[in-house]
Amino acid sequence: MAVKVPGTMGADAQTRNRAAGEHLVLLRSLARELERAIEAIAHNNLAELEESIATQQDLSVRLTELAHNRREAGTQPPSAHNIDLDLRGEIQTAAGELQKLNLRYSLLIEHSSRSAAQMAALFRSFRGQIQEASGARENHSTLSCQV
Amino acid sequence: MRVNPNLVPNILADLQQSQAAVNIALQEVSTGKRVSQPSDDPGASAAMVQNGIDTANLDQYTQNITSLQTTVQAASSALSSVVSSLTQAVSLGTEGANGTNSASNLQALAGQVQGILTSVVSQANTYVNGTYLFGGTVTSTAPYTADSSSPTGYTYNGNNSANSVAIGAHLNIQVSLPGSQVFSGASNNVIGALSGLVTALPSGNSSSISTATAAVTSAVNYIGQQQAFYSNAESQMNAQESALQQDQVTLTTQATNLVGVDMATAATDLSQAETDNSAALAAAAKVLPVTLLNYLSTPQ
Amino acid sequence: MGGLTTSLLMGVQALEASEAALNATSNNIANANTPGYTREVAQFSENQESLTGGTVIGGGVSLDSIQSVRDELLNLQIQQQTSLQGSADTQSSILQQLQTYFSNTGSDIGSALSAFSSSLADLSANPSSSAVQQSVLSAGENLANSFNNTAGGLTTAQSGADSQVTQSVAQINSITAQIAQLNAQLSPSVMSQQNGGTIEDQRDQLVQQLSQLVGVSISQSSDGEVITTANGSPLVMGSQSFQLQTTTGSDGFQQVLDSNGNNITSAIQGGQLGGAIQMRDQTIPGFMNSLDTLASQFATAFNAAQAQGFDSNGNPGQAFFSVPTGTAGAAAGIQVALTSGSQIAVSSDGTVGSNGNVANLSAALTNALPSGQSASGAYGELVYDVGNTASNASAQSSAVGQNLLQLTNQQSSVSGVSIDEETTNLIRYQTAYEAAARIVSTIQALSTVTLDMGSSQSY
Repeated sequence: MAVKVPGTMGADAQTRNRAAGEHLVLLRSLARELERAIEAIAHNNLAELEESIATQQDLSVRLTELAHNRREAGTQPPSAHNIDLDLRGEIQTAAGELQKLNLRYSLLIEHSSRSAAQMAALFRSFRGQIQEASGARENHSTLSCQV
Repeated sequence: MRVNPNLVPNILADLQQSQAAVNIALQEVSTGKRVSQPSDDPGASAAMVQNGIDTANLDQYTQNITSLQTTVQAASSALSSVVSSLTQAVSLGTEGANGTNSASNLQALAGQVQGILTSVVSQANTYVNGTYLFGGTVTSTAPYTADSSSPTGYTYNGNNSANSVAIGAHLNIQVSLPGSQVFSGASNNVIGALSGLVTALPSGNSSSISTATAAVTSAVNYIGQQQAFYSNAESQMNAQESALQQDQVTLTTQATNLVGVDMATAATDLSQAETDNSAALAAAAKVLPVTLLNYLSTPQ
Repeated sequence: MGGLTTSLLMGVQALEASEAALNATSNNIANANTPGYTREVAQFSENQESLTGGTVIGGGVSLDSIQSVRDELLNLQIQQQTSLQGSADTQSSILQQLQTYFSNTGSDIGSALSAFSSSLADLSANPSSSAVQQSVLSAGENLANSFNNTAGGLTTAQSGADSQVTQSVAQINSITAQIAQLNAQLSPSVMSQQNGGTIEDQRDQLVQQLSQLVGVSISQSSDGEVITTANGSPLVMGSQSFQLQTTTGSDGFQQVLDSNGNNITSAIQGGQLGGAIQMRDQTIPGFMNSLDTLASQFATAFNAAQAQGFDSNGNPGQAFFSVPTGTAGAAAGIQVALTSGSQIAVSSDGTVGSNGNVANLSAALTNALPSGQSASGAYGELVYDVGNTASNASAQSSAVGQNLLQLTNQQSSVSGVSIDEETTNLIRYQTAYEAAARIVSTIQALSTVTLDMGSSQSY
């Protein structure tokens, strides 16, 4: 039977820490993307927004995969899952920040979507006015018939 | 400089123009006129004022000629009849002068000449269309009335003037001669000659009868000359009538050129204007609604 | 200050900024069809970054101002052309109305002259006919009537122009008051961070409406915008407006006074007001003078011809027409004075049956009047004058309209809003927001997983 030496990492632990590290980076990157998106909306910079969303999509997919993998790994006994304590703390912090940011971001998106929908409605009524002007042809055919 | 995104004002302006063109063409076809109001063509409108006056006058001149020709012909035929009467009187006088006549013959002859005198006077009093033809400008009183105090037995009630009538813009024509010239002229008094013969015949004096007869002969020639006046007047009026017809054509052509429109041309113009208008409308219909508005989806 | 509070603050700022930007876009789109709207361009500046605990935190954004894109020179040109158009349109429509009195309708002076002339030619051939004499009298009456009617038409048009003066002044006063109010809102002390773009646009629109009514001169002073009439009478000075007044003049027409009581009627140019005054005080009186001169001189000449002869009663010819003494009012007042056809002076020497004087009567129509032209010539010239003036006004109206269209097009391309551009963006925004909303949900779902992390650190 292998004897565990406290404080030393085995190969498994290294892998686990690497995975955790990746998780942290993803969380922080996603948070940065949300901030970028918020700034893009404030600047009316559509291109920037679209880029950020694409990146967000990418990141969130990877995060979801990670979550899925961890679930599967969750059947193993707790002692096998230890990662670095600091790392764990940082992940928790990052996750918390992300959620708060996401909340603000979702409010902004909601508000903006409502505005865009209103503008679309405005367009449709404007379009009606233009159609009226070209209706003049109706009168013309009557004239010809009279002549 | 960006392209103007607001095309609507331009398109509407173009449509207004092409519609206006249709309206003008339509009006020309239905009225036959290119110019309906002074602003359409100020110069033409101004010229039409005179054209209108000239046309109205021309119609009246033509009517004047028609009524004058009646009176001129009446006068002329009166004089022809006077000529035959006078010729008859000459042969009576000649007969009376041959020295073979009895007093009663001579009386009879004088009576016949008196009859001729009466008929000549009635010719001199010809009355046509409400006027006496030989009274000068005194047209409503008979020129000659019997007057026993007069050497000729008749008094002239007319004057020596004559009316000139307008038969053209710058043409007046004298259409009558006063009786004082024709029948009782200083140079040749026709009535006087006849009444002289009436007086001479009963005398039986051949020489005086011959002299009196010669006076009547001279009167025949004189009347013949007077007639020339009337046939001359008639020719002038005929010529003027033709000239007026020419003028009428000229005025009508001028009017059409100024304000009228040729129907065939007008119909073609209308057709073209309508085609152009249809094209303008079709173009506008294409341009105006082609924006992304067409592609906006409806919200849920 | 850092940490969460900063982030929240930034978030709020960003939300506010984006809302303003969204408002700008929605302003642009909602106003694309509003005449005179200029495109707003949101101007942003980044707030200063703050250094907190060694960490540089982005300062977020704030909205500086939204500026309108304008071309001042273009606006000025448009205002000038608008004044010209207002004047040309007003004059053109008045002239269109009054030229019907000079058209060949059968009851116009030209037609009446024709009938009168031909009736005299008839009289030449039938001087003693009472029927023909009566027809001459009737034709004379028609001629007098046509003068009366034409003069009446001119007077009516003049009254119409006078009403327009009153109306225009009222409209001008209303607009200058509104402009002054807007200027008060735009003054530097009041405006601070607010967007003056929409208010400036409203003000520009009002100034353009004002230009349509009267020619104006616009300048800037230390107190703000100064608008005066072309001759310098004040209309608006900053937030103060000056009312014009009208008062009845000695001729019965409305005189225009400025706010100091000075009579500026003849100094007003441009716009509906200028056009109406021009017609009322210059153009129409000019026509009326020609008409009156013709009526007066013709009547006098014809009466003189009457006097040369004798009528069918053996009396010397009396005046055929009666006209007021002097020229003014001759056309409105001319009447036939004879009461019977037998009073027409046909005879040259008193002989009943003579037509000797008819030639003189006819000659009165064809001989030159003191003005230098025959009656028909003088009338023809008046017809030309009216038609030409009407034609020019109509042409100018079109020409100015064309100029205005060009200038407005230029203005539109500088500051107009492109519907296409805005709608393309709108579609993309909608797509982006939909995608963003999905991501937001995804991230939210992650939180339940993350919460577990405290206990089961499974990697």
